[in-house]
Amino acid sequence: MWAQFLLMAFGGSLAQWSVVPALSLAGVTPDLPLIVTVFVALQRGPGTGCLTGFVAGFLQDMAGGGLIGVQAFTKALAGFGMGLLVGRLWVSSPLVQVPGLVLLTVAEGLARYFLLQFFHFPASLGTLMAYVILPQALYNGFLGSCCVLCMSLAAAVRRQA
Amino acid sequence: MRLRKYGLLVAISLVCLLLLTAQTRGLGMGRAADAVALVVTPIQAALVKIHRGAIGLWTAYVDWKSVRSENALLRLETERFRLQALQAEETRQENVRLRRLLALRDRLPLATLAGEVVGREEDGWVRALTVNRGRGSGISRQSPVIVPEGLIGRVLQVRAGASVIQLLNDPASTVGGMVQRTRTPGLVEGHAQGMVRLKFMARGAQVAVGDLVVTSGVGNLFPKGVPIGRVVAIQDKGSALFHYAVLAPAVDFARVEEVLLLTGQTQQDLAGLFHPDS
Repeated sequence: MWAQFLLMAFGGSLAQWSVVPALSLAGVTPDLPLIVTVFVALQRGPGTGCLTGFVAGFLQDMAGGGLIGVQAFTKALAGFGMGLLVGRLWVSSPLVQVPGLVLLTVAEGLARYFLLQFFHFPASLGTLMAYVILPQALYNGFLGSCCVLCMSLAAAVRRQA
Repeated sequence: MRLRKYGLLVAISLVCLLLLTAQTRGLGMGRAADAVALVVTPIQAALVKIHRGAIGLWTAYVDWKSVRSENALLRLETERFRLQALQAEETRQENVRLRRLLALRDRLPLATLAGEVVGREEDGWVRALTVNRGRGSGISRQSPVIVPEGLIGRVLQVRAGASVIQLLNDPASTVGGMVQRTRTPGLVEGHAQGMVRLKFMARGAQVAVGDLVVTSGVGNLFPKGVPIGRVVAIQDKGSALFHYAVLAPAVDFARVEEVLLLTGQTQQDLAGLFHPDS
């Protein structure tokens, strides 16, 4: 089971490097590893979410050429936080999942920004928020809703079968 | 269990912080990054190829769809142009026919009325045309009907808005005719088989295949000299008093679309005004 989730994280990261650039809309791309992390965390709880987030973020850090550990840390936090919500909020509803994904993307962006402040990251929060974090959060929300729809369709098909 | 969860988070956080600290202290992560790149790069390349292939397929599909719809549009357009060309050709032919009819009408020294064929009856019993000129147009029964090639027949019935024309090859049709070259008179009759015959020719008459037979003008019903047909065969019954000639009508009755109905009379020989072989 762990291997499966790690594979998902790895696949998500690979997709992020290869396929996602083609999904760019006006320079905005979704954060597929974060979406994978969120869905894994929602399914399997904080521990698995945290580990998946760490692996996915670590791979992104490695591939991205920036500081290794930043995304690993923020995504691990995101996975853990989302996993903690299971059982406290009605997270199985798409009405919670999709806005939750948007908010989580914003939160992850903020966490990354504040973490990077320790390393004298030059960009301002306003600029990052306006041009990177918020557009990506919306894109993630849209893509997340598509994923939720696909998953519910797949579940319906499985039930019928 | 709860401790384990938080323990995992703390451990991961520590690892990340260690990684970050190591990097800021100048301890590079080059080897680890190289190892990851070694594993990841081939997979990335393969994924990019698949992705490009999928995009290529999609583009080909979109192109194919647009070509298909374009093809359908072009087909429609071609069909429209073909119809237009047919209509134009039809109009051109009608124009030629009407010009010829008009030219004939201008040449004729008697009153005429143009009519359009609106119906045909061509079985073995009756061979007739219906034209869109009737009682209101001043048409009377027995009026001769002609086209630029020659005689069509005569008006058999006059109705309110139409007239029925008995064709020359109707079995009940009889017209006084003569061989133009030898002036040999006879009676042109229709036949159930659809042919036209010149009957009651005197035995001594020098009639040959290819001779033109025209109206004789006897009886003042048909003007003199209107082409009827050419002799294609002579039936000699040996001892019979008369023999007859089979004629190829000057007019192809099946293709007549406009006619001239003669409403006036003339004693003049009209032979020079027609072009039976045109």
